[in-house]
Amino acid sequence: MSGLRRLLARRLLLGAAQTAAVVLLVFALTEALPGDAAVALAGDRPDPARIAAIRASMGLDRPAVERLADWAAGLAHGGLGTSLASGRPVSTYISDGFGPTLLLAALTLALLVPLGVGLGVLAARHAGRWADRLVSSVTLGLYAVPEFACGVLLSTVFAIRLGWLPPTAVGYGADLAAHPAVLVLPVLVLLARPVCTLARLVRAGMIDALASPYVAQARRYGIGGARIRYAHALPAAVTPAAQQLARTVDWLLSGVIVVEALFVIPGLGTVLINAVAERDLPVVQGLAVVFGVLTVVLNTGADLVARRLAPRAEVAA
Amino acid sequence: MKSSTGPGSSRFLLGGLIVGVPLLLALLGPLFAGEPGPRAASFTAGGGHWLGTDFVGRDVWRLVLLGGRSVVLVALAATVLAYAVALPLGLASALTRRGWLEELLMRPLDVLLAVPSLLMILLVAAVLTPGAVGLALLVALVNIPDAARIVRAAAAEAAARPAVEALRMQGESWWRTAVGYVGRSATRTLAADAGLRFTGVLYLVATAAFLGVGVEPDAADWAVMVDRNRTGLFVQPWAVVVPALLIVALTMGGNLLVDSALEHRKKRQR
Repeated sequence: MSGLRRLLARRLLLGAAQTAAVVLLVFALTEALPGDAAVALAGDRPDPARIAAIRASMGLDRPAVERLADWAAGLAHGGLGTSLASGRPVSTYISDGFGPTLLLAALTLALLVPLGVGLGVLAARHAGRWADRLVSSVTLGLYAVPEFACGVLLSTVFAIRLGWLPPTAVGYGADLAAHPAVLVLPVLVLLARPVCTLARLVRAGMIDALASPYVAQARRYGIGGARIRYAHALPAAVTPAAQQLARTVDWLLSGVIVVEALFVIPGLGTVLINAVAERDLPVVQGLAVVFGVLTVVLNTGADLVARRLAPRAEVAA
Repeated sequence: MKSSTGPGSSRFLLGGLIVGVPLLLALLGPLFAGEPGPRAASFTAGGGHWLGTDFVGRDVWRLVLLGGRSVVLVALAATVLAYAVALPLGLASALTRRGWLEELLMRPLDVLLAVPSLLMILLVAAVLTPGAVGLALLVALVNIPDAARIVRAAAAEAAARPAVEALRMQGESWWRTAVGYVGRSATRTLAADAGLRFTGVLYLVATAAFLGVGVEPDAADWAVMVDRNRTGLFVQPWAVVVPALLIVALTMGGNLLVDSALEHRKKRQR
């Protein structure tokens, strides 16, 4: 038991280090790079006096360590600074964009696990036969395709040619839950890559698990097929999949950014892209910290769940 | 050993066919593009333009011929660059007998792995305006942690073999042991990873270009074409559909090809 606790502590420590690294990296990338915010804001005709004035007003002329300390202290109290473009606090940007993004992410995750696991188990049950080959080929082919390319093709067919669904979320406001038709294409596009990885990992794990001695032993005891599949083999098969979730979370995040840009959904991704285009650094920093910390938390969570499902893994690791 | 039939080789053929069209267009297209003609009205179909015109009235077919090169070359350069850093890093940490050195080399990468790749690229794009070279560097950078881990794992497996011990006892130089034996034994695993990584890099390069990172706003680039011509989707879908299909074919076919090559290798090993 103490071994498990030590493992837990180590994983949480890594998570904390990763959080700190994300904060540091965001600061270093946006503030310490040669072309700083003041130069960017000064625009097409960089006038040294104007740059110096902007720098002074933003406090950029102070030493980097001091600014980092200030910024990190602000973060710890939930203060993310104010936008350079509008003067509004960054936190209002985040609260405005949070709803649509959360809705997209929640819907995608809710569909991702049953779809991915279901397809993986289906393919593993029929390993080598046509159902498996179909699932394997489609998931293999689809999972490297950029979201924007398949999204734009889907919306050409279903929104423009057939007219079944709206092509973008323009004109529907921020309350997307009231218009489910708007969400069909974005969620479909967002699901494509993660479902493919999950299904492939579950299939591979399931085939190994079904061939393992303990499943054979369970069969000898006369335990039913469905119970063996879902109660005995699946937890072991999901473990490698859960450990690979790191990459899936990464993909979901970039997927959200692209899908929001593609379907003009007013979520966090759109806020981020706009802030990048406007060089509104405080907003970019705030969103990057939110996204980065979210990724670390989800990854840490996925790892811990994986350990919980198959405590045996820790012996091997 | 019969390996010319079965799902593996048919998938190889399929992947080759799917990836062949966009790859040939990307590499040879610029040779046939010719001089730009006079600009026509935006988003028209016909009128001597086989695929119509784009958002500023340029010939879409000519842009299709030109637009693949940047995607493919930037992705290739990024993959090579990522390995140029990951190989020495991974090899050094697999072969060193100093635990602290390994920790020093690999721990920071563990931490970096947590930062989503697209987020990192957008962060840099907020401060600098990276060109094609900058984009290649950035994409390479976000791929280094994962690539170095795989190099280390592959090399550590080879470095644990008795042959390495024998080489060391014979007093062979570090270079011959590291590159001559360990590097060579790990080549196959690394070739497989390089293939997969290339398709991942293609995804990232195309997505970044779609979001406007590392490209001019009116660049002849398939991903930029998809982005900029979306406004005309109702009147002139070809300016979007053709480049989007080419990107889908490139990534999908590439992935099928790499995977069937891996299957084939696995079968031969058995």
